[in-house]
Amino acid sequence: MSLAEKYPQEVERILAKYPPEHKRSAVMPLLYLAQREEGYITKAAMQDVAQLLEMTETEVAAIIGFYTLYHDKKEGKYRMQVCTDLPCALRGADQFLEELCENLGIQVGETTADGLITLEEVKCLAACDKAPMFQLQSGEGIEYYENMTVDKTMELIEALRKAGKEVE
Amino acid sequence: MSKTVTLTIDGKQVTVPEGTLIVDAAKKIGVDIPVFCYHPKMQPVGMCRMCLVEVGRPVVDRATGQVVKNEDGTPQIRFAPNLMTACTTPVSEGMVVLTESEKAHDGHRAIIEFLLTSHPLDCPICDKGGECPLQELTMRHGPPQGRFPYEDKIHFEKHFPLGELIYLDRERCILCGRCIRYQAEIVGEPVIGFYQRGRATEIVTYSDPGFDSYFSGNTTDICPVGALTTADFRFGARAWELKAEASICAQCPVGCNIVFNTRREAKSGGRVVIKRVMPRQNEEVNELWICDKGRFVHHYTHSAERLSRPLMRKGETLQPVSWEDALRTAAEKFEAAGKEVLVLASGRLSNEDLFNLKALADGLGGRAVLYGDMGGGDLTTLVGVGQGTNLATLGAGDAILVIASDLQEEAPIWWLRVKQAAERGATLIVANPRATKLDTYASFVIRYANGDEVQTVLNLAKKTDKIGQAFAEAENAVVFFGSEGLGLEGSQRLAVACAHLLRETGHVGKPNNGLIGVWQRANDQGAWELGFEPVADLQAAFEQAGAVYIVGADPFGDGRLTLDGVKERPFLVVQEILPTPTTEVADLVLPAQAYAEREGTYVSGERRVQRFYAALPPYGEARPDFAITAAIGKRLGLDLEDGSAEKVFERLAVTQPAFENLTYARLAEVREQWPIVGRGDLYYGGTAYENRRGLGVQLVPAAQREEPVTLPEVQGEAGPRPEEDEWLGVPVTRLLDRGTTVLLSTLLHRRIGEPFVVVHPMAAERLSLAEGQKARLTVNGASAEVTVRVDETVSAGVVLVPRSMGLPLYEPMKVSLKAL
Repeated sequence: MSLAEKYPQEVERILAKYPPEHKRSAVMPLLYLAQREEGYITKAAMQDVAQLLEMTETEVAAIIGFYTLYHDKKEGKYRMQVCTDLPCALRGADQFLEELCENLGIQVGETTADGLITLEEVKCLAACDKAPMFQLQSGEGIEYYENMTVDKTMELIEALRKAGKEVE
Repeated sequence: MSKTVTLTIDGKQVTVPEGTLIVDAAKKIGVDIPVFCYHPKMQPVGMCRMCLVEVGRPVVDRATGQVVKNEDGTPQIRFAPNLMTACTTPVSEGMVVLTESEKAHDGHRAIIEFLLTSHPLDCPICDKGGECPLQELTMRHGPPQGRFPYEDKIHFEKHFPLGELIYLDRERCILCGRCIRYQAEIVGEPVIGFYQRGRATEIVTYSDPGFDSYFSGNTTDICPVGALTTADFRFGARAWELKAEASICAQCPVGCNIVFNTRREAKSGGRVVIKRVMPRQNEEVNELWICDKGRFVHHYTHSAERLSRPLMRKGETLQPVSWEDALRTAAEKFEAAGKEVLVLASGRLSNEDLFNLKALADGLGGRAVLYGDMGGGDLTTLVGVGQGTNLATLGAGDAILVIASDLQEEAPIWWLRVKQAAERGATLIVANPRATKLDTYASFVIRYANGDEVQTVLNLAKKTDKIGQAFAEAENAVVFFGSEGLGLEGSQRLAVACAHLLRETGHVGKPNNGLIGVWQRANDQGAWELGFEPVADLQAAFEQAGAVYIVGADPFGDGRLTLDGVKERPFLVVQEILPTPTTEVADLVLPAQAYAEREGTYVSGERRVQRFYAALPPYGEARPDFAITAAIGKRLGLDLEDGSAEKVFERLAVTQPAFENLTYARLAEVREQWPIVGRGDLYYGGTAYENRRGLGVQLVPAAQREEPVTLPEVQGEAGPRPEEDEWLGVPVTRLLDRGTTVLLSTLLHRRIGEPFVVVHPMAAERLSLAEGQKARLTVNGASAEVTVRVDETVSAGVVLVPRSMGLPLYEPMKVSLKAL
């Protein structure tokens, strides 16, 4: 099913925001939409966006490649993006990340065996005073978790896991 | 005249138009500022920072607005605190630029050091080595040693095809973006792009096939490192082993100026072979570009199949004979046939060959026929574009009409230049029975039904709508007419209608005005100039002849001629470079030299006479076409010139009014062109060659010579229309077809593809066919398996049949299409 068939109203609403001769400006919101379900942008969805906006697939791909919050590979349902820039590191973010890795049994950039969490290390998220902190990206959007500890994080992951199961 | 600005660069004064960039102003006085990302044909981006220079400006007293003077009366100059990029900074009055100061050198050194932090320095195995801007500028400006750890270099897979034509080496890439900008800005096909960012940035393509553009090869010329290389030349030779000889591309009527890079090599049995084809600058023809067909189609010249000796039919087989026997036999047969000699020659031949062939036919009282199915060459000689025409100077206020032609498929470099003229503001009118890539740039798109070609032009001439008015009111107007969907008669009628339109609107007899034929072969225009014309019924002409002399054409392979049902076959002499179905049925085969092995001239569609030179030694016993014809003529007592191509041209210039006063020396004249390329500074314009062997001369059309021009009457309709319940097959032209020479470049096979037809989706549905499905096409009794393609812009009752794809359809005619 194409993007326009899957989300007809939303595609229309996004396209309506831009003048028809500048419709390629809709590329970013459409890509977020394309990413909603799978957590990444499939090749087919990329082609849909290109076709909708009369761009080449390469142009669309270049945008996916440039922006760090678009993903082109299937990974965890949630992406846990921990900031380890200098101010966060001074508040123990790197230690936090290391321990989190141990607890989850994965390295940075890897995904838990159940496909729930992908752990990533990122640059400044503008919450230096509340480190250790991370943002949680999923198809639903992005949420901030501040002043975290490893225990609190593990509880959160357990809750996410349960929530996922209940839905199923 | 625009305002000019005077400035000083490294102590030298230079005056340039306002808005000129420092880097270009410096180039004009021979100061080479190092660049990587800047290219004179593209917008500056200032990405690589290599062109750092010190820039000073006169100090102006704010109170008085006067320039502050030093004690000695010279203006006081204040230098900017930081180095500035010469490629993004426009000149200003009194500016002082230092490119060789210690500070500027520091900047250059630092940038080179940064660029090399992740460059593999694998010059010994890099195709670019020896003509590489990065190598050259590192030697000139780089530090003796980098301070970054060698282990930090990023490594990527070396063998990384972007498609089957172009390879990318991501380690070598310095991310200047020239290739990406070339595709986006100049070609308008952004099929390559940057992916990721920072040190992870790489160039990607998501098109299918990869890097899907007819212009992809040009990116390898402007790539300032060895990141982009062609599959054709990859590990082919070292740049310094190559010889360069000037030539003209023989693939289409644009007449791109090229260079054949050749090398004698053991791999090719000790023969000299073409290693690659490079563009040669001619700002009035192809600028710095060539298309991928022109770049990659050269392999036929050293095909092992080449004809190397004369062959004569002995029973069922062709046996080698001596030239003496072959020429004597040909002369005897032609003499016996006398007035019944038919010379059938194609626009693949040079003017010199055609001139001698025409003289031979005339001397015997026989017929000289041009092989092809497009008419109108008599009109381009009358109202063709005026001398001094340069598509690069068309812009706002001018108009271009492209009718019955898919210009990108038929003449890619014209497509590029017409597109650019439209972007400069020219009114572009694209009239075609289906959508083409040029529509995107058109001010007006006219989609007519097949058969309405002439009527479409007549409607424009009425000036009743805004399209007709725009054309009539344009200061300059050029018409490109082609043969999409048309045969000989239809294209002839279309040309007549276009000629009338041009004359009625006053667009003839001046530079940048007139008619251009989008011919099927490189020198069709030359053939028309020299008195060759196609015939409507080739088979009848063949059957009526006593002896037939086919030169540079394959009518039997193309399905234009057949021996089926021929009671008395004429004696058939075929002069060719490669074996073809036509040579197979010949009584006598004469081996000709490929054009790269000899000299000659072509006339482009813009009626520019251009010289090509011998880049390769002759193959086997093959001889130049003009010399073979002359040798036969001499045995018939005709006075034909066989000494050299130049001597033939001297005679041609005397007898042909249009060629008056032209000599090989005049055709070899050059002027300085802008941008300056091909000298010691490959980093500036890329590896395109400087033109040192001739820019050619445009012929003066009759209308510009102020001779009376009589145009034929406009005739009704250009072609038939599809009838109810039948399918009208119409011919269209494709760049990469299944011609004998094209097929020998195996590299292009995937892009050539299998024979196909194009129909409207509704037609496909009626025939129970779908995109990609196999079907059987029957034309005129012949049938072939084809793949069906669907295009909703095609007329409902029409089946598009590409020329030279093995399907014998040359004019609109009834066809049948059945699912397999």
